[in-house]
Amino acid sequence: MLRRRDPNVVGQAYGFQAMTPIRPGEEDALRAYLEGLYDDDRPSPLAKLERTHIARWVIITDFVNDRAWGQRRAEHLELPYLVFTSNFDGDLDSYLDELCSKLATEAAEVWGRCVGCPVQAEGAALKAYLKHNQVDCGLFFTPYGDATVPVVKDALAQREQMIAFATDSQGLDPAALQAAFVREFGG
Amino acid sequence: MAPGAKQHPPVHIDFGDIQGDILRAYGNTYDCTSYAFVHIDCAPEQARAWFSGVVDHVTTANPWPRGEKPLTTLNVALTAPGLRALGVSDDKVGSFSREFREGMSDAARAVLLGDVGPSAPSQWERGLGTGETHVLLTINAQQPVDHKRALGKMKAAMKAAGGVRVIYQEDTEMLPGAREHFGYADGFAQPAVEGATERKVRGGGIPLQDGGWRAFAPGEFILGYPDEDTRVDPQRRLPNMPADPLGRSGTYMVWRKLYQDVALWRRTMRAAAKLYTAGDEDLLSAKVVGRWANGTPLVTHPDAPDDEFHPSSSQANDFRYDDDLDGMRCPLGSHIRRSNPRDALGWGGSLSFRHRMIRRGMPYGAVLPEGVMEDDGVDRGLVFVSFQASISRQFEGVQVQWLNAGNIFGLGNDKDYLLGDPFGKGKMTIQGKPPFLLSPQETFVTTRGGEYLFVPGMTALAALADGTTG
Repeated sequence: MLRRRDPNVVGQAYGFQAMTPIRPGEEDALRAYLEGLYDDDRPSPLAKLERTHIARWVIITDFVNDRAWGQRRAEHLELPYLVFTSNFDGDLDSYLDELCSKLATEAAEVWGRCVGCPVQAEGAALKAYLKHNQVDCGLFFTPYGDATVPVVKDALAQREQMIAFATDSQGLDPAALQAAFVREFGG
Repeated sequence: MAPGAKQHPPVHIDFGDIQGDILRAYGNTYDCTSYAFVHIDCAPEQARAWFSGVVDHVTTANPWPRGEKPLTTLNVALTAPGLRALGVSDDKVGSFSREFREGMSDAARAVLLGDVGPSAPSQWERGLGTGETHVLLTINAQQPVDHKRALGKMKAAMKAAGGVRVIYQEDTEMLPGAREHFGYADGFAQPAVEGATERKVRGGGIPLQDGGWRAFAPGEFILGYPDEDTRVDPQRRLPNMPADPLGRSGTYMVWRKLYQDVALWRRTMRAAAKLYTAGDEDLLSAKVVGRWANGTPLVTHPDAPDDEFHPSSSQANDFRYDDDLDGMRCPLGSHIRRSNPRDALGWGGSLSFRHRMIRRGMPYGAVLPEGVMEDDGVDRGLVFVSFQASISRQFEGVQVQWLNAGNIFGLGNDKDYLLGDPFGKGKMTIQGKPPFLLSPQETFVTTRGGEYLFVPGMTALAALADGTTG
């Protein structure tokens, strides 16, 4: 019997998304809190989860309705939604464990404003809440699903090192180029 | 909509309601241009009395009868604070685009635009990017004597009105051969617009997959007309624009003063060429620009310029990149290929055709004589002017995604080499066998100031002068 492929997995990478309705009256405060997290001078709190490739919180206020393109009736959300997405290395359970412990402060401010979130938005209760509100990926696209975050960072550093070397060594004769290469990258 | 779609009703453009020099250039006979930035320091009623006198002399886009070009022309643009200073309500100002309301010098925007370090708004020339500019008057003249007279009349009118004054003025002049200061023919690659400039469609329009070209919908540049998104809309809706009567026939304008360090450019090219194809400075510089100095495109003439090439010829821009996708002739990161990738990004041109601008820039400052390799301290460069329906989609899209980044072209962190780097870091990858890595990327160009403006149509100008905009 064919085993159904997990729609949230590409290679070793996992794509998680959770949609949670925002409690009435909390949208502005949540938006202000999320905007306050954006600061050029300090890293995003999501960087505390070192297995993360890309993660974000997005607020969706309503559907876009456009009858000009054949839509029969307008549709609206009853409440605005918070969407959390993250692409990360490895399995979901251990990632959510990490999130619930390392992001406890932020999680309480963010999901604490959503419908159905446990009063203590942390630990196993928060993890269960996020898993309950998980929506499978319709299409999880990742260009390098087999490369973990450390592998990607290492590759970028190597690329920079190679570019700097290639730039600085232009015009060297073959013997000097070989000597410079050995000095830079080892024999 | 796909770039190739053709089915739409014909467009009739009301040239009499649009200011001049936008859809069709006044042309090289006007070789003196002054930009006067005006601050209003009086009540809206008094300001409108002065503005009304200005509006009476504004030049429209109506064609001039043969041989009857006016000696001078006058055009008007406003900033968001300028609209308020003339008494436009906050509600109406709020209907303008966010980037226009926030302005070019907004802190987050300046970082995106690359206006950092010596180009940061805090370093700009006095009066620019501070919110003090309300109205920009652009005066073109055929002769210096006409120019002087027009400027004198402008200032006399301000003195008589009171409460308005010029806080910054930039006088520019066409350089010999319509070149910019680095020595390149400039300003002749413009979008071809349906109903206005269709004769330049080959190379100026949208490249179609069958080898042909199609002119742009006018709404890409003038508000109140269908754009490339709405030209086949079954409901015939128009793109978003500021509330009536302000938006119709208007366009957004980007104005930037870009200082060029010509001596630094020459020295850098000379030093780098020693490591490049037999020290060929002209070829190396052409690789950076994507054209030879006389304007000949590198993609069609990779080895030497065409001495017969003329920028005003209808064939001057008739080229594509589909048979040079690896950039071996015209580098992937060359200035003109970044600014207007044509078909280079694939997907039938869908990724590039919504990001075109009409440019009406002018060089300022005296030429650094040929062969001089040390800076003489003269302020020289380019006044960059562009017109577009959306500053964020068109000007900022090109500046931020195409010129200041390399990702979309597969070039990593490479930026446009010609514009330089505010911190002297960076490089350019010139494809070849082997490729050449051009560095260092010095601060060849520095932003000295800029504004986001709106150029109203004639009906809107009259409403502004009368105080009937609501």
